Amino acid sequence: MFLTRSEYDRGVNTFSPEGRLFQIEYAIEAIKLGSTAIGICTSEGVVLAVEKRITSPLMEATTKEKIVEVDKHIGCAVSGLMADSRTMIDRARIECQNHWFTYDERITVESCAQAVSNLAIQFGDSDDDGAAMSRPFGVAILFAGCDEKGPQLFHMDPSGTSFQYDAKAIGSGSEGAQQSLQESYNRSMTLKEAITLILTILKQVMEEKLNSNNVEVVTVTPDKLFHMFSKEELDQALENVTPLIKDEGEASTSRK
Amino acid sequence: MILANTESNSSLKSHNTRFNPYDDNGGSIVAIGGDDFVVIASDTRLSTGFSIYSRNQSKLFKLSKKSILGSSGCWCDTLTLTRLLNARMQMYLHEHNKEMNTPALAQMLSTMLYYKRFFPYYVSNILAGIESDGSGWIYSYDPIGNVEKCKFRAGGSSGVLLQPLLDNQIMLSNLQNIDEQPLSLEKAIKIIQDVFTSAAERDIYTGDEIRIMSITADCFKEEKIQMRKD
Repeated sequence: MFLTRSEYDRGVNTFSPEGRLFQIEYAIEAIKLGSTAIGICTSEGVVLAVEKRITSPLMEATTKEKIVEVDKHIGCAVSGLMADSRTMIDRARIECQNHWFTYDERITVESCAQAVSNLAIQFGDSDDDGAAMSRPFGVAILFAGCDEKGPQLFHMDPSGTSFQYDAKAIGSGSEGAQQSLQESYNRSMTLKEAITLILTILKQVMEEKLNSNNVEVVTVTPDKLFHMFSKEELDQALENVTPLIKDEGEASTSRK
Repeated sequence: MILANTESNSSLKSHNTRFNPYDDNGGSIVAIGGDDFVVIASDTRLSTGFSIYSRNQSKLFKLSKKSILGSSGCWCDTLTLTRLLNARMQMYLHEHNKEMNTPALAQMLSTMLYYKRFFPYYVSNILAGIESDGSGWIYSYDPIGNVEKCKFRAGGSSGVLLQPLLDNQIMLSNLQNIDEQPLSLEKAIKIIQDVFTSAAERDIYTGDEIRIMSITADCFKEEKIQMRKD
């Protein structure tokens, strides 16, 4: 197995005999080194939350931007190589404005995710029209937005595959977080419940202690559209998180 | 619309004869939007100078279930523009998995016209469509993409002749002691027939037949009315 890999994992556009593109698979592995990002879609709106790894006390935490506004009605949470994400977010923003310019309407969340997916697969040999990306992007993106179909959440990975999700986690803590989401998510939950759930799960998978400095939360709702939580709003939202975990602790002890 | 045709009589040796890519093939469009309907009509005469190419050419293009375009002026530009519009709408359907609604179509037509800012389509466009709330609206264009959203509009060779007539008959401007009633589809079609009859009396580029298309929430209708053919 190791031998076959080493022969076919260098070229980005060479299939292995089993029909795999290793560089894409490695890029997907790269996401698992990134910080955790979670998205939950409810009927009232979508919520995104990411952990910010503050690697040094001297670092200015506010300059680490992991959730960005793409258009008034679409927000993106990214995990993986931040530099790569710049290019993709740039494309997403251009597509949104282009759509507005041409059709005088907001682009759908699905079309926005699809447009970025088109960029994600444009790696490999360059065409005549200039240099192409020489490797797959090492980024996974969660698209949260509200359009005529209501609140929606899409996930895109380095292979350019995008799907709609009710709730999705990406990054280093994604496996545990996805498991928790599957257990706790239900379609009838309110946005407030979703915010508490998302922070609770983030708290569980984060190595550091969760506080209002190392987390970013954004909601996208039909009336307020893209909204980034301020420090005060974060503190308020975090207050709901601790008692919930306490309750769970008590419940588990009483069962004993 | 005046097109330089005076040089065609000069000798062939003259280098002053410039290639003129445009022709004016005439034709008129009238469109009216109501609270729950939209109606658009064109004549069927296609002409150049004192000759008639056709007495049976409608200038209406049904672009979707909810919108119809009326396009007159240089007929070859109309043909190219409408084919391109249909292609762009099909591409939109495939890309976004939904049919284009009227405001999106209106904006796209505007950008398409402006992209040919320095070699424009020589056409007068009027787009009639039903919007998401069911109301009928008219979008009228100049050849380089300026767009105005309104309730009624006349365009083409008799446009300037008919617009004041519509102002008077629909907006009831310059009338006193008149109680305003909501416009019905039947009344709108009657007005259209009257104004086209008037246009055919004065404009040699308008005549032969009126083609009327109307859209309401539940049905699409098409009808013909004969006009003077001289």
